[in-house]
Amino acid sequence: MPESLTVNGQPREFDGDGDMPLLWYLREILDLTGTKFGCGMGLCGACTVHLDGQAIRSCLTPVSTAFGREITTIEGLSADGSHPLQLAWIRHRVPQCGYCQAGQIMSAASFLDSNPKPDRDAVDQAMQGNICRCGTYNRIKAAILDVAGGDTEETA
Amino acid sequence: MSVHIVTRRDFLKSSGLAAGGLTLGIGFGAGTALAGDASAASETELNAFVHIAPNGDTVLYCGRCEMGQGISTALPAAVADELEADWSRVTVLQGDGDEKYGPQGTGGSKSINVMFTPMREAGATAQAMLVTAAANRWGVATERCYADNHVVRNRDDERTLGYGELAADAAKLDIPETPKLKTPDQFRYIGQPIPRHDMADVVTGRRTYGADTRLPGMKYAAIRHVPVMGGSVKSFDAAEAKAMPGVVDVIHIPRFENAYGSLGGIAVVADTTWQAKNALEKVQVEFEPGPHGSYDSKAYKAELVSRVEQSCEKVHERGNLAAAFEAAETRHGATYTGGHLSHSPMEPMASTVWVREDDVEVWASTQDPAGIQRTLGAYLERDPKSVIVHVMMAGGAFGRKFKCDYVQEAAALSKAVGAPVHLTWSREEDTRTGYYHSLSAQRIEASLDADGNVTGWLHRAAFPAIRTTFDPSVERPSEGDLDAVSGHPYGIANMQVESGLSPAHTRIGWYRAVYAIFYGYAINVFTHELAEKANKDPLDFYRQIYANSTNPEQAEQVKRSLGVLNLAAEKAGWGREVPEGHGLGIAVHHSFESYLAMVVHAEVDGEDIKVHRVDCAVDCGLVLNPDQATAQMEGAVMMGMSLALYTEVTFRDGAVVNSNFHDYPVLRAQEAPPEINVYFTNTDARPTGLGEPGVPTFAPALSGAIFAATGVRHRDLPIKPMTV
Repeated sequence: MPESLTVNGQPREFDGDGDMPLLWYLREILDLTGTKFGCGMGLCGACTVHLDGQAIRSCLTPVSTAFGREITTIEGLSADGSHPLQLAWIRHRVPQCGYCQAGQIMSAASFLDSNPKPDRDAVDQAMQGNICRCGTYNRIKAAILDVAGGDTEETA
Repeated sequence: MSVHIVTRRDFLKSSGLAAGGLTLGIGFGAGTALAGDASAASETELNAFVHIAPNGDTVLYCGRCEMGQGISTALPAAVADELEADWSRVTVLQGDGDEKYGPQGTGGSKSINVMFTPMREAGATAQAMLVTAAANRWGVATERCYADNHVVRNRDDERTLGYGELAADAAKLDIPETPKLKTPDQFRYIGQPIPRHDMADVVTGRRTYGADTRLPGMKYAAIRHVPVMGGSVKSFDAAEAKAMPGVVDVIHIPRFENAYGSLGGIAVVADTTWQAKNALEKVQVEFEPGPHGSYDSKAYKAELVSRVEQSCEKVHERGNLAAAFEAAETRHGATYTGGHLSHSPMEPMASTVWVREDDVEVWASTQDPAGIQRTLGAYLERDPKSVIVHVMMAGGAFGRKFKCDYVQEAAALSKAVGAPVHLTWSREEDTRTGYYHSLSAQRIEASLDADGNVTGWLHRAAFPAIRTTFDPSVERPSEGDLDAVSGHPYGIANMQVESGLSPAHTRIGWYRAVYAIFYGYAINVFTHELAEKANKDPLDFYRQIYANSTNPEQAEQVKRSLGVLNLAAEKAGWGREVPEGHGLGIAVHHSFESYLAMVVHAEVDGEDIKVHRVDCAVDCGLVLNPDQATAQMEGAVMMGMSLALYTEVTFRDGAVVNSNFHDYPVLRAQEAPPEINVYFTNTDARPTGLGEPGVPTFAPALSGAIFAATGVRHRDLPIKPMTV
């Protein structure tokens, strides 16, 4: 019996081994490659997506967890790249290689939903699960604080 | 398919381009077409880098590999500047592996250093051809026409012709021998903080990396490598794995004896990566460790220390060191060590290869497409030119993706199963089977006179050199490997440099900033120690050493080193009061032809080390893009902090013990120094490297700051090693 779930607003049927991590379902069955593989152990945050609006690590989450629920990936965060965080990421020129940034943005989006006016410390704590090896951390934080309206100081 | 009307012309002989030290070919085949891109249908190729469509839409190709350093914006912006193009009409595309783009191997912080002038010339020649085409159309002298923001204007009337209207005619003209280049005051894009061309794609998940290639009929693979260099698969049992769902085959890839070849291993090809990974876990493998099966990196580091604490092989000598040491008022010696490092880019090694009867097609995150062509040519016994390499955006690389073992493995698998195969390594394989930064030991001894002048310097270094990966008979650093020491702008009059026996027991590779990491660390921290012996402030002591450097051949190095040192000190407020438990540290180093100084403000509270502020001063000559240049420095600080505090790869029984980010911890968001200020001298001098030179100064400046805060001197990196 195929199971149903919603991915970026579209209904999907899944007929396979429900133990498959959501990450590989998104990347290799649906070809939604914006969500990245980084570590496979929930240590780096590159695979972050939303499950019913909450940030989760898709590399550790079996696809069965998402049955009957709603998944949002970076491709579905906004229709046209106009989510305030996406715009702030461009304004603050955050990305270097950019590989981790989908996960960073998805983590930040979920965080701001729960804490729309965070201070710097809260941002630090919220983002510690997302590694960026290029070292864009300060621009990431500036972009988040910019959206939160608490601190509009420009990076660089 | 695009129709290129260009006839064969020889860019190589264009004196202007040859003057850049490069041979730039020009494309003339349909092979470079923008496959599937309708706009390319009638695009005209003015040269390999500049293609213009009849409507004026312009494609600028980047030949160098993009891995986040922003080169695919910086170089095309230089082309666009000389082309007098409207940047809003420009699309940047990554060139495939092709010699027409000049050297594409992207490392050594060389892209701007080597390609800046040729890129300007590519833009300037195309611009001159467009102007000539307009002059011919109007029947006027070329001097009566000029290029201005994507159009050519007639000076004598109001007429204009767009680049799109002129491109086809322009392409029929001869390429000018000596393109006239702009003066710096005429630059419109060079020197401006132009945003990266691909940011909208990155933030929406549309930017595709090597790991994101998807082809019809493509299979996915997972691999487990022979864990020890030079080892092999003794036996394996794949019966259970082969019966698992989705599994296509289980394949033994033998070690490929090539510097860029696979260590060997067992791979599973399946319908999905997850199925391949699960099946791989069920393959019973027995490895034969081979000659390096007893490698223990901690013991080896101790062995290297004992070697450099005795006489080693002399590779450089000047003045009279013995006499200087004899006459010394004060003598001091110290030993410094560093560990192996793994690059650990966020995108693990990833490639897709399709081996077909007549050719091979590769999609890979890579720093060296020609290396892929060479390696696959050798492995598959085919003409390297039959290997088509699509250079994919690399999700970080830091030197690792120059080597293409992961591409050769995908080729082996594609050949075996007769389908395109995508291989992404697990994080564990990425951590355990890399090409590591050398572990190292250095001993420095020096003499001071009564005024605190450094009169003699003995420097011994032992580390497995990168050349060992290409020639396993290499047993110690060469004279050339030690150039950064013997040619250091301190210019100490009496000097001896020695190389310690240090063969490699694992694959050694280029890691962002390479040897400059440990040279920069030892030389700077030792300088701090000498300052202490001489009872001087470190900044004053640096100034004194440089003032004593009198070799006229090093005058520019001294001047530029002092320039950044003074700039960093001034901007950081060197000498300012800091709270109890805080300290300032300073370091200066030049590498990849650029000059860097950093002041680090740190706080030490027990085991906890916080960095509050970093001030970086950079002399890389002309800065092409101040925003992206600043980003490189910010990144260098973060990577410098990772390696200063945490990162070390440990070997036991020949194999790497670390596996993932829990036992190979890199810097995380909450630890990032909240204030990083970057200052460029920004001269008109030839632009030099930026990707790497920022890394070496951080760790010694931090060490100095910790000493200022606590009186504890750290001589070993990392400062807080992880026990694994």
